[in-house]
Amino acid sequence: MIEPDHSYAVEARGISKYFGGVAALDGVDFKVHWGEVHALLGENGAGKTTLSNILAGIYRADSGEIAVDGLTHEVRTPAQAIEAGIGMVHQHFKLVETMTVAENVHLGWPDTPTLVSQRVLVDRTNHLMEEIGLHVDPTAKVWQLSVGEQQRVEILRVLARGAQILILDEPTAVLTSHEARDLFKVMRDLVSGGRTVIFISHKLNEVLEVSDQITVLRDGVHEVTRSAEGATPRELARLMTGEERTLEVEHREITGETVLQLEGVTASNDRGVVALSSVDLVARSGEILGIAGVSGNGQTELAEVISAMRRVDGGTITVDGEDVANGLVRKVTDLGVGHIPEDRIGVGIVGSASVKDNAVLRHYWTEGLSSGVTLFRQAVVDFATRLVEVARVQTRSITATAGQMSGGNQQRLVARREALLATRVLIAVHPTRGLDVLAAQEVQTAVIGQRDRGAAVLFISDDLDEVLLMSDRIAVMYEGRIMGIFDRVDADREAIGLMMGGHTLEEAMAK
Amino acid sequence: MSTYRLERRLEVDTKKQALTRVAGALIAMAVAGLVLLLTGRNSFKILFDGLEAIFGSQRGLEGVALRAIPILMTALAVALSLRMKIWNIGSGGQFLMGAFAALGVGIHVNGPGWLVLILMALAALVAGSLWILVPALARAYWDVNEIITTLLLNFVAAQLVTWASIGFWRDTEAAVIQSTKRVPYRLAELPGTDSLTIALLVPFVIALVLFWIFRSTTIGFEIDTIGGNARAAAFAGINVRRRILLVMLCTGAIAGLGGMLQLSAPGARQLGPGYEAQFGLTGFIVAALAGGAMMGVLVGGTFIASMFFAGLVLQTKGLSVYIIFGIYGLILTGVALGEMAARYRLVRVGDAVSSERVAS
Ligand SMILES: Nc1ncnc2c1ncn2[C@@H]1O[C@H](COP(=O)(O)OP(=O)(O)O)[C@@H](O)[C@H]1O
Ligand SMILES: [Mg+2]
Repeated sequence: MIEPDHSYAVEARGISKYFGGVAALDGVDFKVHWGEVHALLGENGAGKTTLSNILAGIYRADSGEIAVDGLTHEVRTPAQAIEAGIGMVHQHFKLVETMTVAENVHLGWPDTPTLVSQRVLVDRTNHLMEEIGLHVDPTAKVWQLSVGEQQRVEILRVLARGAQILILDEPTAVLTSHEARDLFKVMRDLVSGGRTVIFISHKLNEVLEVSDQITVLRDGVHEVTRSAEGATPRELARLMTGEERTLEVEHREITGETVLQLEGVTASNDRGVVALSSVDLVARSGEILGIAGVSGNGQTELAEVISAMRRVDGGTITVDGEDVANGLVRKVTDLGVGHIPEDRIGVGIVGSASVKDNAVLRHYWTEGLSSGVTLFRQAVVDFATRLVEVARVQTRSITATAGQMSGGNQQRLVARREALLATRVLIAVHPTRGLDVLAAQEVQTAVIGQRDRGAAVLFISDDLDEVLLMSDRIAVMYEGRIMGIFDRVDADREAIGLMMGGHTLEEAMAK
Repeated sequence: MSTYRLERRLEVDTKKQALTRVAGALIAMAVAGLVLLLTGRNSFKILFDGLEAIFGSQRGLEGVALRAIPILMTALAVALSLRMKIWNIGSGGQFLMGAFAALGVGIHVNGPGWLVLILMALAALVAGSLWILVPALARAYWDVNEIITTLLLNFVAAQLVTWASIGFWRDTEAAVIQSTKRVPYRLAELPGTDSLTIALLVPFVIALVLFWIFRSTTIGFEIDTIGGNARAAAFAGINVRRRILLVMLCTGAIAGLGGMLQLSAPGARQLGPGYEAQFGLTGFIVAALAGGAMMGVLVGGTFIASMFFAGLVLQTKGLSVYIIFGIYGLILTGVALGEMAARYRLVRVGDAVSSERVAS
């Protein structure tokens, strides 16, 4: 028996966990001090979720022991974990959508009075929110809330049950960058109130921004625990992937001809509200034109009007001089326009169809794959086999359904498929969102490769660092307008940030 | 002290699934047999009588085939729509309207038999698709759910046929009050049979054509894509509206043609109440259990037809109709559970071996 050492909130020693004989965790040590945000960093499959599930009593470790606040605990069930003060917010929320916030907070909570009126529930919830400093309308139904607000309800639920140690499993994967900022503030408030937050992520920038300590896991092995101060993305990426792996993007002078041209393009979003107002843009062969902006400022609609998925209310869009506005999707595809859509599962993939059918989804009707009436099945198989190989998609077979692949593999498939179609224009919308470092770099490499083959690339992302890394020129979008366009060399991070928030070019330069 | 838990399979083996369905039916029959034994009936004799009814004579096999034709036609119609995740609950109505139109041609047009029969078939195809036209337009253009619209039109079709059979097309020569005139033309007989016509070939030809369409053509690819994810289909440049219209009109046409074929069945050359003997509903069950697979529809439809036929014979041998319906229900439930069983597997919790997981 070791002397209780109260300086650690959690001290896990030699944790191993096997799934069918394969080690998901292999003798991992994990020590977290009270009052810190401790990031657990690692690529997909590194074992982050498994480790947190063990801390939260959902899985049992095959070996190793866990001390909470210096006392060894048997954490065998979620209830025992809560008793020890550990609460976890999962990657997928567990809220009842048709119930109110107050009801959800109280659901399955032993402290809830047995007979209780809606008013009492709301009062109790208000009280809690005051105490914790998290605010959501307690009378709203969960389905009415944004993802960020739903997440707050989840956090509230866990904290209400007395959790002092909060585990957040990839909380930012579902958030816009704005919502993520809000969450970071909440996390900082919680630790300054004395609680401890374990923050799981595979995004280096976020981890560096919000955490005090960083633990890196790789393939179920503890790599390092170090202070966030002085850590560099490059070093962390190397620890995560085990290789020196930072993308070097070469930028050359652009001499190519104009391929894509938008003039005075106006369009509405699905709710009929103006989403693009009088957008002028030119993209030339062999360049990446980055579109910086906070999500929801017209980027989605911009991508959709170009690929003829959305009608324009005015203006012209040409690809190699051919008018494509309000045209047919197939004509645009035929002109050599590829589109990595924002919603890859909702739009880019048919989950119930095979990997091979998804490989040809966007051009099965073209010569070589079909006669117009029949599909050439062997040609489809050949194409899909090749695509899976170059895109390094991990799937058991090309006849397995696309839906059973991980998100990273689905995006590898979509990104390469569209890059191959994009002989002239490639539109990439948040193409690396939610991907681990390796998959993200593969997608970025595919995009750069297409640029080097002479395509004009429109690279849309709300991650400014990524836009700055990838682009030859950068346009800033705000409320459906282009606020300004920079050459890469003149791009000033500050100024772009201000313009993303709605400042004009003049204002941004003056500051 | 490990516990067990059901886990959804990531990929379902369709061959295995066919086997689990058969197993489900067999287990259900065993359960039924056990219950009958416990209540003092000789279930072995019942089983033997049932099999004898079907396989014991040519008449038995022909009886099954006659029942299979209308069921297969509606089942194929529904299966086609299910591929696009469209629920045509109205195949019974389209079946009736096909028969109605064919009958109209049959009793009003004089000419060489083959010509009139072709005209009857065309009329049935058109009438069946017209009967689903409004639901199809509503679904394609305003996204109105087709379940309600197609269902309601069944009742309208039934009323129309009742009206015809007691009103404008009533058979005034016969003593029956509710029956239309008889069609004087009948499809060519199948050589070597007593009661079968070439109608029997039609569902098999249609099933083969549909099978080929979904296996090898771009249109089949498009229909499956829309069924899987309509937004992705639009992204692939597929004209989703046009495909919805096409599929819905075809499903109506196939069901309508089924109505025309039935006019050639012995004793059914006129329309009256009971003409659509739950064929729409039965076809729907078959298509749903087959999961939209055309070959599965052929097997399932024939199986259900044999089951119904055996039940009919057993009824004449004194087995209560309630027991027979109970057995039907049990067997279909067994098949449905068998279908589900193939989607899951039992895993031991604690050391869950998820070999199916593919890490990213
Ligand atoms: N329930 C499970 N069954 C089998 N393997 C699993 C299970 N959960 C996780 N794994 C495996 O354990 C490893 C670690 O997974 P996980 O903890 O989810 O990683 P992370 O959260 O870091 O992405 C992966 O290889 C994964 O496939
Ligand atoms: Mg995880």
